[in-house]
Amino acid sequence: MSETGLRELTLTVNGRNHAVRAQPRKLLADVLREDLRLTGTHVGCEHGVCGACTVLVDGQPLRSCLTYAVQMEGHEVSTIESVATKGRLSVLQQALHEAHGLQCGFCTPGIVMTFEAFLRQHPDPSEAEVREALAGNLCRCTGYQGIVLAILRAAQQMRTEP
Amino acid sequence: MGQENFHYIGQHAPRKEDYRFLTGQGRYVDDVEVPGALHACFVRSPHAHARIKSIDPGLALKIDGVVAVFTGQDLAQWTTRQRMAPPIEGLQPMEMDALPIDKVRFQGDPVACVIACDRYVAEDAAELVQVDYELLPAVTDMWQAMAPGSPRVDDALPSNLLSHQQASFGDPSARKREAYRVVESTFSMHRQTHLPIETRGCVALWDAGRSHLTFHVGNQVPHPYRTTLAARLRLAESQVTIISQDVGGGFGQKIALYREELVVAAAARQLGQAVRWREDRMENLLASSQAREDFCRTRAAVDADGKLLGLELEIVEDFGAYSFYPGNYLARVVAMILTGPYKVQDYSYDVRVVLSNKVANGPMRAPMAITSWLMEGTLDAVARALGQDPLAVRRLNMLSAHEYPYSMATGEVLEDITPRQTLDAAVEAIDYDSFRRSQKASLAQSRYLGLGICTVVESTTYGSKFYKSAGIPGSGHEAAWIRIEPSGVVNASVGLGPTGQGYETSLSHAVAEGLGVPLTQVRVLLGNTDIAPYGMGSRGARGGTAGGGTLVLCARQAQSHVLAIARHQLGLAEDVPLRMLDARVQRKQEDDWQDTRLSLADIARQAYLDPTSLPAGMSPGLEFHQTYDPPPMTYSNSTHVCEVEVMAETGAVHIRRYVVAEDCGTVLSPVVVEGQQLGAIAMGLSGTLFEHVEYDANGQNLTGTLADYLVATACELPHIQILSMHTPNRRTPAGIKGMAEGGVMGAIGALSNAVADALAPLGVKVEKQPLTPMYLRALIRAATVSNKETA
Amino acid sequence: MKPAAFDYWRAESIEDALSQLASGEGEAKVLAGGQSLGPMLNMRLATPQRLIDLNDLSELAYIRDQGDTLEVGPLTRHHQLAQSPLLRRRCPLLARASQTIGHYAIRQRGTLGGSLAHADPAAQLPLVAVTLGAGLELQSARSRRTVPAQEFFVSAMNTSLAPDEIIRSVRFPAATEHEAEAFEIFSRRHGDFAIVAVACTLALRDERVMGIRLGVGGVHATPLNLSAHLQGFVGRQPNMAWISDVAQAVQDLANPAEDSRIPADYRQDLAGSLTRQALASALQRARGDAG
Repeated sequence: MSETGLRELTLTVNGRNHAVRAQPRKLLADVLREDLRLTGTHVGCEHGVCGACTVLVDGQPLRSCLTYAVQMEGHEVSTIESVATKGRLSVLQQALHEAHGLQCGFCTPGIVMTFEAFLRQHPDPSEAEVREALAGNLCRCTGYQGIVLAILRAAQQMRTEP
Repeated sequence: MGQENFHYIGQHAPRKEDYRFLTGQGRYVDDVEVPGALHACFVRSPHAHARIKSIDPGLALKIDGVVAVFTGQDLAQWTTRQRMAPPIEGLQPMEMDALPIDKVRFQGDPVACVIACDRYVAEDAAELVQVDYELLPAVTDMWQAMAPGSPRVDDALPSNLLSHQQASFGDPSARKREAYRVVESTFSMHRQTHLPIETRGCVALWDAGRSHLTFHVGNQVPHPYRTTLAARLRLAESQVTIISQDVGGGFGQKIALYREELVVAAAARQLGQAVRWREDRMENLLASSQAREDFCRTRAAVDADGKLLGLELEIVEDFGAYSFYPGNYLARVVAMILTGPYKVQDYSYDVRVVLSNKVANGPMRAPMAITSWLMEGTLDAVARALGQDPLAVRRLNMLSAHEYPYSMATGEVLEDITPRQTLDAAVEAIDYDSFRRSQKASLAQSRYLGLGICTVVESTTYGSKFYKSAGIPGSGHEAAWIRIEPSGVVNASVGLGPTGQGYETSLSHAVAEGLGVPLTQVRVLLGNTDIAPYGMGSRGARGGTAGGGTLVLCARQAQSHVLAIARHQLGLAEDVPLRMLDARVQRKQEDDWQDTRLSLADIARQAYLDPTSLPAGMSPGLEFHQTYDPPPMTYSNSTHVCEVEVMAETGAVHIRRYVVAEDCGTVLSPVVVEGQQLGAIAMGLSGTLFEHVEYDANGQNLTGTLADYLVATACELPHIQILSMHTPNRRTPAGIKGMAEGGVMGAIGALSNAVADALAPLGVKVEKQPLTPMYLRALIRAATVSNKETA
Repeated sequence: MKPAAFDYWRAESIEDALSQLASGEGEAKVLAGGQSLGPMLNMRLATPQRLIDLNDLSELAYIRDQGDTLEVGPLTRHHQLAQSPLLRRRCPLLARASQTIGHYAIRQRGTLGGSLAHADPAAQLPLVAVTLGAGLELQSARSRRTVPAQEFFVSAMNTSLAPDEIIRSVRFPAATEHEAEAFEIFSRRHGDFAIVAVACTLALRDERVMGIRLGVGGVHATPLNLSAHLQGFVGRQPNMAWISDVAQAVQDLANPAEDSRIPADYRQDLAGSLTRQALASALQRARGDAG
């Protein structure tokens, strides 16, 4: 294993601190998957288009393929593994299940992370606004219809049940 | 016709596999943790066509962490060549090495494999491998490929013509002479690629102690894949296990053994260490598998009313540089099923498949996708030529219910399909007459609205007899087992390869129905060749009929056996009707079914733990095995209707409405089927508008990133309305027909026909795809100028 | 698609960043939002030896009212530009254009400075900067200078930024009274880089055009400011014929280069068509008909 330029990093992921050794060029996505064994964040393109690698950093969506792990010191990273609590799906996750908003599941974590943040910031989105935000996540299986329906239902449920 | 006769089939239940995907706990290939695994990275040709003069890995090997660099010469010692030579008239045999030795044939062709401690280092090293190439002229156009003296893609072949098939039925020439008009149309479909969101990849673990290869790979056909991989490595089949747990989309890209995968397996065996490969998206776009590049011409001989007298079809297909699939096959299916639901017996086809310096072709969801555009586009052209309404022309030519079973000119038999019903339902839902009125009104304001209709007869499940009569080696059967555990829960397995289509759910419906147990009591195991029975896997739309059908039969067998035990336990005569429902044995008293004291768990316990109390002659345990060969072909049908507006100033296409009326026969899981229909339509619409693998004249691929190869996002796709009917197939278990690809066919046809309909008043002919704004704007511009000149 | 190795420096202050850029040991690139640089690094189209991360410099993210101008910091994210009440009031063209950039997730990360430095010929923010005549303040360890936007963009993906300079701030002229704006874009898909984009402001009083600024992106290697060429249309009534005439003038001035994938006449047609749309939108806003 090449030792060149390895850095000792402390990353805060899903509320826990982790000591990681990585080169500056190692993508956050790869550190999450390999060093922290959090394989729920998926790599689909490595150039920021497909959105499968989306995580939250300080509550905001971020493409972990366009971020180097070394940039994340001092920030709070949340991945898909933190969304369901004690096995209980979030409102959005449950809505995706009920509206058949996933098939192969590969794009799903990126969509969940994007919209967990989006719905907090936009609690009453129109369908057009949902589709606009969803344009940053590519899905090859569903045609997006079930996903859009799920997000709108989740938004409605979250508005009525604080 | 509905599905009221079933207890579990057709139930609207959400999917069983969702939890792990929603919580990020899926197990895709790259998630499989293998401590100490080495990483592979392929050195790929920057040139479309070149001789490999030398490969020098010296500088690469000096990098810390690099373990080896393998070339085609190395791989030739550890693997066999691939020979693609089915005994088909007009098909040239082709042979391919694990890695090219003599020359590269497309930009991205792998020439060497770097093995290193991680992917970062492997990429650093790959850049330093020195390959000396002697450039050769490239052939990148199907017409150029067929021209005499063009550069030859495969030096062992006399030309670039890989396959030429012709057939004639009846007398199409005579029909042309007799016809009121002969309407000729051309259709150019562009090159596309599957783009699963999960790229390719694999992990090879060679257990030297057991001489056994465990190979993790996302694959649609685990058992046939295993057979091939073992043979190429000169291993016995039982020395290879394929594990394909969760797969992030296949769409036909994950079927045949890829050279990269073979190299990784061979490398692991050589090095005695686990090796893994993670394809990146650029490789996936530049070097995996491509499809659909076809030029077609139809000539329709018609009478004055638009009735079809005869039809001729020509296809030329650009197949890329290698033959990982038989060259004749994909295009030939188009030719065989072209006429679909329309009555015409005088028919001929001429299909040529040519090689070029591009990525090799493979089947892409609905490999016969162009079929419906061809047939329906031809009918639209007929209607326009004669000044008839396109809907009327379709109804004039469409088979009526009493005409089934109908033998198409090519010998394909259509029965139990309902194209007239789906056509009627779809045009009613879109309010056809009202649209024509608003179209006329809009035209008066220089707005171009269009409506496209496309009826699809989708070939779903191919039985062994189909392959035999088409001269293609291979079987269409499927295999299943069911094991009822002592506690009464049910495990089931079948040889399919899941890639997102919800088999754990739909196949649970099949088992539940056949056996009589709740969906939640069934567990479906797939994708591990040590567990699953030997089946032909997932391609086309065979999951429902072949997979579901086999399981229904197996489950019925199991129910029969279980009831025999129950009857014996309850001391009931043979003529007392018994059934299993919700895992309870029930008996019929007069007209009512009543629960007996026995549950499936009771019987299972007895069968495993108290076998001497079983009926005389009956073996212990509850394990069942079944194989099933479907009819030569089953069909589903649907009609797609699409309403668009084409913006004259920009050439942009706005899809205003989309309706599909489908008849997929018996549907195991309505939830899964709805998702499949929506996804298929999305892929067809996306392909027609955006997706284009573009090569320049030198064979350089211009679309190696997702910024260039465009695919539809949520903003580009309309809301799709689905109307469902269910006419069962009389020959298959539970009347299952299957579906998955018709949506692609219908979307391509409906959208293309809608755009053609919108621009017809300008005298514009829309003959190629993708329907980019630039292309449409150029057509509009030219027509506007021309119309001004003739005005 | 892993980047080539680089050294990473996390700037703790502006001076720190500048001193790192000036140190000159191997090529250095500044990292802001990473939405444009990230893909280039991952594809190895850029292989700098050093990456200097500015993301901690929160003092570079701001929008300030300076009377005649709005001063915006380079690290201001697209979504902040899009949603800023101050910009919507005082420089609405900038806010409106920012709303059209990419999609939700991209706008959370991408920055003003990053977009300007990247200099894509069809990008929104360079087009707005040029159309409004914004001034860019460039700073290095040794100097500070102000460059008008028009001079900052040299050619496609190419600016006059020196290797040791960062964009320190950008000043946009504030909208005048009676002025309305429009930003129209045509792209293959929602959120893609524009094929052609048009930015314009119109000052309208008593149904007479008192001022017009208009820029076109995507028809030239850098954003094309046509404001000076359109002054002949000032003083007239903005009726349909007027709109048509302005659009024709823009189309004639556009003169895009031929390109195998998008023909020049297509871009030219778009320039005219988007101008018509932009003028119609601006007029509607000027008359108070629309939000």
